[in-house]
Amino acid sequence: MEAVKDWLSVRMVAEMPWLWAGLAAYAMATWTALEGIRLRAAGAMPAVTVREGRVLFWLMLGVGLLTVSLAQRWVRIGHGPFVNLFELLVSQLFSLGLVYAVVYWRFPQVRPTAVVVLPILWILGLWVLMLEPEAVPYPPTYYNDWLWAHVGFGKLFLGFALVGTGLAGLILARAHPRLEPWLRRLPPDEVLDNLAWRFMLLAFVFDSLMLIAGAVWAQDAWGRYWSWDALETSSFLTWLALGGALHARLAYRVPLRLGAAFIVTVFVLAFLTYFGTPFYSEAAHKGII
Amino acid sequence: MSLGRRLASLKLTVVGMLLLAVAVGLRYGDPDRVSVWVLVIPMALLALNLLAAIATNPRIHRRGGLLAFHVSLLVLVILAAIGRLTLYEAHVELLEGQAFSVSQVFDVRAGPLHSGELHRVRFVQGPWTVSYSPGLVRGPTRSTVHVPDGRGGWESRVVGDDTPLVLEGYRFYTTFNKGFAPILTWIPDGGGPAYTGAVHMPSYPLFDFRQVNTWTPPGGPELRLWLHVDAGLKGDEAWVLDGRRATARLAVRTPEGRVELEPGESVRLPGGVLRYERLSTWMGYKIFYDPTLRWLFVTSVLGVLGLAAHYWRRFGAGWMAARDPARSGRDWEAGLGEAAAAVRRRS
Repeated sequence: MEAVKDWLSVRMVAEMPWLWAGLAAYAMATWTALEGIRLRAAGAMPAVTVREGRVLFWLMLGVGLLTVSLAQRWVRIGHGPFVNLFELLVSQLFSLGLVYAVVYWRFPQVRPTAVVVLPILWILGLWVLMLEPEAVPYPPTYYNDWLWAHVGFGKLFLGFALVGTGLAGLILARAHPRLEPWLRRLPPDEVLDNLAWRFMLLAFVFDSLMLIAGAVWAQDAWGRYWSWDALETSSFLTWLALGGALHARLAYRVPLRLGAAFIVTVFVLAFLTYFGTPFYSEAAHKGII
Repeated sequence: MSLGRRLASLKLTVVGMLLLAVAVGLRYGDPDRVSVWVLVIPMALLALNLLAAIATNPRIHRRGGLLAFHVSLLVLVILAAIGRLTLYEAHVELLEGQAFSVSQVFDVRAGPLHSGELHRVRFVQGPWTVSYSPGLVRGPTRSTVHVPDGRGGWESRVVGDDTPLVLEGYRFYTTFNKGFAPILTWIPDGGGPAYTGAVHMPSYPLFDFRQVNTWTPPGGPELRLWLHVDAGLKGDEAWVLDGRRATARLAVRTPEGRVELEPGESVRLPGGVLRYERLSTWMGYKIFYDPTLRWLFVTSVLGVLGLAAHYWRRFGAGWMAARDPARSGRDWEAGLGEAAAAVRRRS
């Protein structure tokens, strides 16, 4: 009981109820998406359509609630969600949810990917629940407009890469005999593969823009546009991996499942860049603030 | 197959990218022991591969956006190399009221083709402030500098953090390195000329507890100096470091013991008299010069715009028409030409 009290006492701040509500909405979206896959496997397409509408509803509701959570925190601590791991996670939960919701709405072919994408969001959701919503001072070098461009492009990059990973995840999941019956009625692997790489190429465009905006910000903030710090090295390797995967697909007859594995690898690299680096550098670019 | 076509091979591109990734990993892991050539060689291989592809690959020629992206990558490599050759990096510490001079810079790193125009830079350091959050977390730095206004006068600018002072292409960035400096006058015995100078104490408040330095006046003994600063430092409250509000006593070791001086006071030492005139401050700057910065930005943006244009022309409107196959028969094929054809062939 004392442990629960302690856990709650450090979390009783304005943004937390909205965050919990947002995560609950994402949980409902995940559950409904799983239901949709079950109905699709049974061929009940009208029911699938209804479930897809509900997934979109829960997803948008979650994004809305997380928006309020971010706004509450911004008002409480006086700066945007750019500095510590808690802020980065909530911010990504919001932006990944938003990008995915828009894609989900506009591109019906990707809707089955919700069963892959939403659990990935849940990794972030569970992680953020373990962190305290502590506020840290805003570094002076963050008062720079290029930070917004850098972060914005980065969110679009990761969002589109997440969609590509959702599609690749379906290809890989269908290769498993126990999962195949559930995914049999999805578009053919060739179509999923084609769509996945389109999203990955789109991600590549925004990854490149993110690196450019980050370099301009770094030049203003620290007097050099590139210095191979942990985050820069990791993000360059991600860009290189994605570029390499796109070229490998053109150069070789890459089997669909191997191509899907490439996509998942690129996403894992991007994920580690965003959320792995904070393990040894609590603030992004901490070493040079 | 011609040499050009072999060099333009996509397989070589993939190998080059793999080698570059390995090189980046090695260099990050141990930058002191792994030579920079480990990075340069795969980059040169990729540049050669790219040049050959631009020259010989018709798939790139036919697609303007893709061509623009690949040309921009090649230009970026060339610009980065030019940037390294013409680069200038250094540090300088300027006393309040002091004019910048090339003779003061240190830690200089200049490329072999650097044009050396730093002597044309003119500005005078003014007062500065640094805000701190509770816990002594550094906030914004505001450093006033006076620069020629082009009409024979001076204009004041406030720089700091992400707003550098840019003069003659050289960018001056404030650093965390800044502090106090007692202004001292040495009056030698025997009527020789007096000498006035400043002793830069270690960075403040980082070395608040160790404001110690030595100074050897012309013809005099080496002096060991301590500065006891009262700048209103409060570690657990928000605080602004402002040299104009600070006071400091100067401690000097003499043959008889230790003497503490207030501004305006003197002490007799072997060989002359030392007078503590007043307390001043100094600001440390990082100097950076790279004439390719603007072109790197323009080239990279044009390249990505080219890639975006290629993407839009290739995939833009078509795929939105695609539909879920389970719901609408073969409508999903719309906009998915290659994939749909592959499925048709298979079935």
